Amino acid sequence: MNIVVDAKNIKKVYGTKGNVFTALDNIDLNVYEGEFVGVMGPSGAGKSTLLNVLATIDQPTSGDIHIDGTNIVNLNEEQLATFRREKLGFIFQDYNLLDTLTVKENIILPLALAKVDVNELEERVHEVTRTFGISQILEKYPYQISGGQKQRTAAARAIVTKPSLLLADEPTGALDSKSATDLLESLKELSEINLATILLVTHDAFAASYCNRVIFIKDGKMFTELVKGKSTRKEFFQKVLDVLSALGGGLSDTI
Amino acid sequence: MIGNVKNYLLYFISMIFSVVIYYTFVSLQYSPEVKKAIESSDSILNIFIAGSVVLVLFVAIFIFYSNSFFTKKRKKEVGLYSLLGLRKKTIGKMLFYENIIMGGIAVMIGIIVGTILSKLFTLIVLRLLNAPVEVSFGISLDAIVNTFIVFLMISLFTSFRAYRLIYRFKLIELFRAEKEGEKVPKISFIAALTSIILIALSYWLGYQPPTNNIQVLTNLLLFLFCIVLGTYLLFRFLTIYLLRLLQNKKTSYYKGTNLVGISQLIYRINGNARTLTMIALLSAVTISAISVGYSFYYTNEKQAEKEAPFSYMHISTSESVDKQIEDVIQSDREHSFIGQMDIPVIHVNGEVSSPLLQDYLKNGPIKIISENTYNEALKIVGKESNIQLTGNQTIGIRPLLTEYTSNDFEEHLVTLQLPNTELDLAFSAMVEDRILPWSYPDFAIVVSNQMFSEIAAQVTPVTIKAYEVAGEKTTKDTTVQLQKLASEEMQLITYYNIYRKGLESGGLNLFILGFLGLVFLAATGCIIYFKQITESHEDRSRYEILRKIGVSKKEVNAVIRKQMMFVFGLPLIIGVVHGLVILQIASNIFSVLIGTNLTVPIVITTLLYFIIYLSYYLLTLTTVKKTVNN
Repeated sequence: MNIVVDAKNIKKVYGTKGNVFTALDNIDLNVYEGEFVGVMGPSGAGKSTLLNVLATIDQPTSGDIHIDGTNIVNLNEEQLATFRREKLGFIFQDYNLLDTLTVKENIILPLALAKVDVNELEERVHEVTRTFGISQILEKYPYQISGGQKQRTAAARAIVTKPSLLLADEPTGALDSKSATDLLESLKELSEINLATILLVTHDAFAASYCNRVIFIKDGKMFTELVKGKSTRKEFFQKVLDVLSALGGGLSDTI
Repeated sequence: MIGNVKNYLLYFISMIFSVVIYYTFVSLQYSPEVKKAIESSDSILNIFIAGSVVLVLFVAIFIFYSNSFFTKKRKKEVGLYSLLGLRKKTIGKMLFYENIIMGGIAVMIGIIVGTILSKLFTLIVLRLLNAPVEVSFGISLDAIVNTFIVFLMISLFTSFRAYRLIYRFKLIELFRAEKEGEKVPKISFIAALTSIILIALSYWLGYQPPTNNIQVLTNLLLFLFCIVLGTYLLFRFLTIYLLRLLQNKKTSYYKGTNLVGISQLIYRINGNARTLTMIALLSAVTISAISVGYSFYYTNEKQAEKEAPFSYMHISTSESVDKQIEDVIQSDREHSFIGQMDIPVIHVNGEVSSPLLQDYLKNGPIKIISENTYNEALKIVGKESNIQLTGNQTIGIRPLLTEYTSNDFEEHLVTLQLPNTELDLAFSAMVEDRILPWSYPDFAIVVSNQMFSEIAAQVTPVTIKAYEVAGEKTTKDTTVQLQKLASEEMQLITYYNIYRKGLESGGLNLFILGFLGLVFLAATGCIIYFKQITESHEDRSRYEILRKIGVSKKEVNAVIRKQMMFVFGLPLIIGVVHGLVILQIASNIFSVLIGTNLTVPIVITTLLYFIIYLSYYLLTLTTVKKTVNN
């Protein structure tokens, strides 16, 4: 299996002398192609920092990160922009759709930025919108659709470029349970059928139970790791809950 | 909190700006130096009064605009007070006092700054009037009182509006104010088409030659209506329609950042249509007004020369008075004598076979001079002429304030009604150089010497005495002396008087139009600046999303630049084109402008306008980029 994310000794320190806060403390992380990996931990554990560092939105204080063979630590701003565009896909809790664009235009945006040929572009949009079941609302604007539809649009936008790595930051945080389930099913299907590599940061044990593997971090350090293996989703969900209660503070988050 | 300080500051600065402008202008009106510099009648001072009326209107609109801009930003704050349990009345009172205190401070600061500025502007006016430049540093109480009253009224009005704010909206509306995003606008082909039709109609009306006064007025009103509505519809619907067409061209629309830029523009235009319309129209008015003012001033010398071809001219009544006048002129050592001649003119009624000329002449008298007189007179004023006519040939002199050409005269006949017979003369050409003072109808013809004496045998000519001296622009003293000597019937015309009157009204016009133009420009610039900065705060999150999905800083800046170019460029282009049409109308109405070349004034005005506008564009662009990228 190809390795997609190869991060070693990532350290992220905030603040200046005397008032230093270590958000990430020597984290190692490997993610392989087609894996659906969850990252969990209590508030302030460093989940979002880890995601931002991997997303190249934030720079680590030290450490090396290779994504799809490229060392992202050494890239300049221009190269980073191109890298994000070509290799990464994002799904955020607050959707981050552009309200000036229709659903279809939002999905097209990354392809348009990459200057993809119009025919190919239409085809790819057709493909992903079918995957996420949003073909009916293509001409609508974000303010006209529901939260679940918005998040599926965001997901469609994230994968339309066939990124090497899909990063999802609390994607189900603002969704009702039905919409959340739909989205998670779609993501799972993507990783299983299209071999998409997904990194999911979440509070929610239910969302995490859709992953192949869940990494727990606490106080910026790796706490433990759970692999789903052959267990059913229900059993895995229970295991995740057990770890969370052991982690402390996590349980209150899941309620 | 910092954001709030910024809002206060913006509102406060725009109030101070208004006070400074108004006070400066009004103190000029009351300035003793300016009054002294204006020799001709006080009626010219009316220009100042008209200017201040326009200024009051404009300042009021500008303050209301920034006031509503300011209140919109504070709705949430007001909602919060209400939520925290303050009574509506208390909140209202608080806003009222706050507003009126801000107004009071703005007036004080404005008057102080205005006092300094008014000295500067007095210098400019005196310069334009060619008056000695000596400015005292006095404060005009009249101007202070005037400014105070005007701004008290405006402040009371805005303060009352502020007081009513809490009563006008429901709490929920106050909280939602900031989020009031513009919905994606609908497209209307009919409205887009209507805008083109209305603008085309207004242009067509503008190019109609005027026939009579009532028609000019109705055309003007119709023109105003069409151009204002048409421009609004253009920004509101036509731009959206055209942008939608761009959107439908998928191959270019789905390329790079076009997708973001175009859709953002469409999204924004709705809320900006009124502002852009106002800016385009104000630009048009400014550009045309300054051009007109500038060309009055610029062409004054030539115009005076045409109206008064000689330094002094009068009709000879008695030899003794003629002698006295000549003595006065001869004794003026500062202005050396160049030449003198008697111009015999015959006044005869007649008709012209050309309908155009007949329409001008109506039933007025035709002035007849001989070829020798014409040639000689032009020689004295330093011009070449060698007209030689035989038999029934005649040459027309182009009437002042018309644009007739030789073609309008050639092959036409003029029939003179002499006491005993009717005499037909044939036009062979038209000349432009004039030797007679202006009087309506300004229809003079040159005939052969022999023909002149034949006519003179039947109608006695009137003799006009004409004197030419050097440095005729400064013959103030001699002019005053002559005016005492000359009676009404002598119709004394001096170049100095004509020149001076033109200079004063032209200079003041130029100053006031320039002043108002600068104010309009500064204010419209501020309005776009405000709008763009507010919008950039709202757009920040959008650009952040773009950055996250891999749009580089450079590309984001390019998108911003393109949008700014559209927002600044379109009203400017439309303003310039409208301005040119308005100039066309102006030159139809102000007969002085007929036949003068407006290219230089227009080019200079437009260029100046463009440069100032460009600096606003650059300032706004830098600020917006900074806002978005941080």
